[in-house]
Amino acid sequence: MSNQPNSTMVELIKVSKHYHPNIQALTDVSISIRSGEMVFITGRSGAGKTTFLKLLCKMELPTRGMVEIDGIDIRRLRGKGLAILRQNIGVAYQDFKLLTDRTVAENIAVSMEVSYRKPNQIRKRVKTLLEELDLTDKHNSMTGDLSRGEQQRVALARAVANSPSLILVDEPTGNLDSATTERVMTMIKNLHQAGATVLIATHDHTIYRNTDDRLLELRGGQMYQLRDGVMQ
Amino acid sequence: MSFIFAVLRQVYRNFRQTWLSQFMTLLTVSLSVFIFAFFYLVYNNMLTIGDKLGYDLRLIVYLEDEPIPELQEQLKRKILAFDEVEDIRFVSRAEAFERFRSQLGDDQDVLEDMPKDFLPPSIEVVPLKSLRSLNQVKLFSEYLSKLPGTIKVQYGQDWIERFYYFTRLVSIIVVLSAGLLILTSVFMVSYKIRLTIIGRREELELLRLVGATNNYIRTPFFIEGVLHGLLGSSIGLAALFGLFTWIKMKFSGPGILNIFEFSFFQPPAIIVLAIISILLCTMGSYTSMRKYLKK
Repeated sequence: MSNQPNSTMVELIKVSKHYHPNIQALTDVSISIRSGEMVFITGRSGAGKTTFLKLLCKMELPTRGMVEIDGIDIRRLRGKGLAILRQNIGVAYQDFKLLTDRTVAENIAVSMEVSYRKPNQIRKRVKTLLEELDLTDKHNSMTGDLSRGEQQRVALARAVANSPSLILVDEPTGNLDSATTERVMTMIKNLHQAGATVLIATHDHTIYRNTDDRLLELRGGQMYQLRDGVMQ
Repeated sequence: MSFIFAVLRQVYRNFRQTWLSQFMTLLTVSLSVFIFAFFYLVYNNMLTIGDKLGYDLRLIVYLEDEPIPELQEQLKRKILAFDEVEDIRFVSRAEAFERFRSQLGDDQDVLEDMPKDFLPPSIEVVPLKSLRSLNQVKLFSEYLSKLPGTIKVQYGQDWIERFYYFTRLVSIIVVLSAGLLILTSVFMVSYKIRLTIIGRREELELLRLVGATNNYIRTPFFIEGVLHGLLGSSIGLAALFGLFTWIKMKFSGPGILNIFEFSFFQPPAIIVLAIISILLCTMGSYTSMRKYLKK
């Protein structure tokens, strides 16, 4: 994937998403996000934030419209092409999607294993991430035994472990105290500064209040720009 | 990390997580291979025995009177009129007596008071190898029994008939056990993989979401099928070889089993059996993957 600052990483053109029987999650959303940009998407619960992120990694297909990642129409991607795209997109899901019968280290390693990283590289990366997220002592704990806040951080660590070009984070601070929120946001900002494009869906205004990144709002299935961002 | 290493690690994880059901599947496949191979081995050996019996087959035509050379020629022509034969040999009363005496060995003194012509003369007919199916031999026997001056024709009818019927019965059991092997290998492995896929649905979904390719997800299940076939056939055939060796040892010495030479499968047959098991188990794993691991 391209990390050129002026290239477009995410492009949605008139994208709508309809769920059976009569839920209109998104209506004619059109937006472009440049490579290396950090964007906050806010909105009330059920506004369509999670749907928006799911469309970007082809967890869902749009009912209408076009979704392009790094210039590629993802509707056309299948098999290996889709797998490679997903290896370059790190997603921290709202419901975490952790393997509760595996250790923290194994959960984080999953995303690197599918990219055939070397075992010693994986071990090093897992160790670093656990240190950054203050989870070193949980290395061999089963994720099912962790608190919600700890699980959230493991999910985030897994999302960023493969150093993806595009990071999608769904409600990253929902279960965290302020100190841990600070730690998590520092890590995300570091990844952003290293060149990653970051999209954060949140209704926690404290994490975007003091930033100058682009701020979008989803309201009634439509996208509104509240603040124009300044590219770093 | 290479693809092969990643896949093998996943196979190891699958075996570790579901070792009990893996073990049960392996046991079932081994047992099926054992049952099929057992009957096939019995059938194979019976065919060898049948060949040997066929090789030694001769029809003995007992005659009322010793034929003069002219009559011998006539009888010969009549016999050849039915079909070509390998050999026709006339045995006189005296020759028959001498043979019988030598067969008695140390007990030949029992014949001391017997007249030397009490045994009937006979013709020994060795049919061609092409004429050795049970029905053809029967027809030939009937033809010979109608020759003038014939008392009766013998070729061990009862014994041979029973042997051929038993061989046919074993061949049916072989077909049935082959069906059992196919059913158990394909369905057990398919069922096992289906259970694994259902049990690990969340993990497989996550693997797709983090960018695992179809090969990354499917190959471990494919290898599982291959391993079940390979290990199942190895264990089944090894167990059969153990049983075969034990029977040979246990029943060595004088007895019916020593009349014939029993043999185990030749290496090519073992390889073919293993390949068939592998293919069947792989087919089982493939059907489950196709159904439950859609791209």
